[in-house]
Amino acid sequence: MQPLSPAVIHHGSAGLFLAALAAAFLRLPATEAPAFVPPPVVASPLPADMTRGNLPSAGATAGPASLTLLADGKVAAAWLAGPGNDNSAATIWLSILGRSGWSQPLPAATLESTAAGTFAHMSSLGRPLLLAEGSWLHLWYESLPLGNGAGAAIVHSLSTDGGKTWSKAERLQTSPLGTLGNGLGGPPLMLADGGLGLPLDQRFPKQGSEWLRLSATGRIVGKIRLAHAAPTLQPAVVALDDHRGLAVLRDNRAGASRATLSTTNGGQTWGAASELALPGPDAPVALLRLASGRLLLAGNPQQGKEALQLWLSADDGQTWAVKRIVEAASDGGAEFADPALLLGRDGRIHLTYTWRQQQIRYVTFTEAWLAGGAP
Amino acid sequence: MNLTAAYGLLAHGLIFGAMAALLPLGPLHQRVVLTATATALLVGIAPAMHGLFGTPSATLLQLAILQLARRTPSPFTQPVAAGLLTFALFFYPLALGRGPFDPYALGYQPAPLLAALLALGLALWWRRQPGWLRILALDLLAYASGIFVNLWDALFDPLLVLLALAIVVRQWAIRFIASRNR
Repeated sequence: MQPLSPAVIHHGSAGLFLAALAAAFLRLPATEAPAFVPPPVVASPLPADMTRGNLPSAGATAGPASLTLLADGKVAAAWLAGPGNDNSAATIWLSILGRSGWSQPLPAATLESTAAGTFAHMSSLGRPLLLAEGSWLHLWYESLPLGNGAGAAIVHSLSTDGGKTWSKAERLQTSPLGTLGNGLGGPPLMLADGGLGLPLDQRFPKQGSEWLRLSATGRIVGKIRLAHAAPTLQPAVVALDDHRGLAVLRDNRAGASRATLSTTNGGQTWGAASELALPGPDAPVALLRLASGRLLLAGNPQQGKEALQLWLSADDGQTWAVKRIVEAASDGGAEFADPALLLGRDGRIHLTYTWRQQQIRYVTFTEAWLAGGAP
Repeated sequence: MNLTAAYGLLAHGLIFGAMAALLPLGPLHQRVVLTATATALLVGIAPAMHGLFGTPSATLLQLAILQLARRTPSPFTQPVAAGLLTFALFFYPLALGRGPFDPYALGYQPAPLLAALLALGLALWWRRQPGWLRILALDLLAYASGIFVNLWDALFDPLLVLLALAIVVRQWAIRFIASRNR
């Protein structure tokens, strides 16, 4: 066969390039201006009530939990649990709250199932986030190639049978460093176009927070930096109306206030809001918009993780009042951390948090109990 | 099967094979390279690289394939490596949190980036560089196929930047030693 002439190679390469460029233009994602889907404001008729228990034990150690409301109104929880100090053996478990209590936990993701889906070796799993979208159950979780400080790759898996089986894990391309650098923040928020806003950490090499925008098909269509003067992590975001949102962030300064950011355009841009005069440690918080429209914040008070406290705001997060101390202990080993909040279909509020890193405490209460409380 | 995951694993196997191909192997070249690629895929080297470095860029994969095919000289010359390194010195600090602008986010909505690549393509065509035109074309096709959701990831990655650094440092060291021997 005769070799191609340089002119044919030259013009052929140019033609291939132009065709590829056209194909890439066709692949560009189409997006609308983002808008939130805030829950409707209704009065909760439930009387004051509070019950306390635990999620079923799935190991000697338990990590952060995530809550979601299933299509049938049941509450589902996913959390990280392992046999001990071996992080590589930790598994993400799923349990559903039925009439007879929490179901026997089922494994939702393991290191092996993650490797089978991503074809990549990871050293351990991290924080999960669970979200029900119709009959679909999304699970995002961290897979860590090195230690926690180097950040993680965000992995997504989907269940269409209520968590009995899960699709192959798929890694999201969120970081310019490949599998390093990111982490999961607070729960995702539904957007009006059917997509999602997913709060993220940027853990390596510099601490910060980000907002990932996903389309209705799950494709990443944008990423926005939640820029703050302080090093922040684990943004907890709540929609105030269609376009306004508030983010309270884990604040590395661990001082007399907490970093907050706000948006007025559905998360397209974020700016620093007035700092919350809520002293607290460098620990994550959970944020929820209640049925009444008030905001509920769960987190640790200034003295540290030896107490877990609830604050209420009736003015979209401008001012906060301590309402309840959910649990407190003065012994050195006490640690009540990583709160997660969920509003049930009946107006009950569900709270989980890690209890001394050994199990997941589950508390459910009504807004009337919360309002009547004194710290 | 997840296309991106399969691509990433196979690409890391080939990249490991290409690294072996850098050794002065003489007539054993083909056998050693084949063995290295197969070993990387079978004994867990490729999954470990995939876990640590993530999905390699289409550019790095193509350069690895050219190395495996012994297509010399490599288009990844010292000036190209120096150019990529200079770009990376600005790109990575900004993308990793220095300042409010995140250039990596541009890759998810890459219309301006594609316009810039059109200009780069024209320049390459004008300077008669069909090799790099083909490499960029395959990068764009990899993005269009959905293997990459961020166009930057198709164009370059940290491993390619490390390779650029190695090329620049090697060239600098050769010049330094030559100047000392004069």
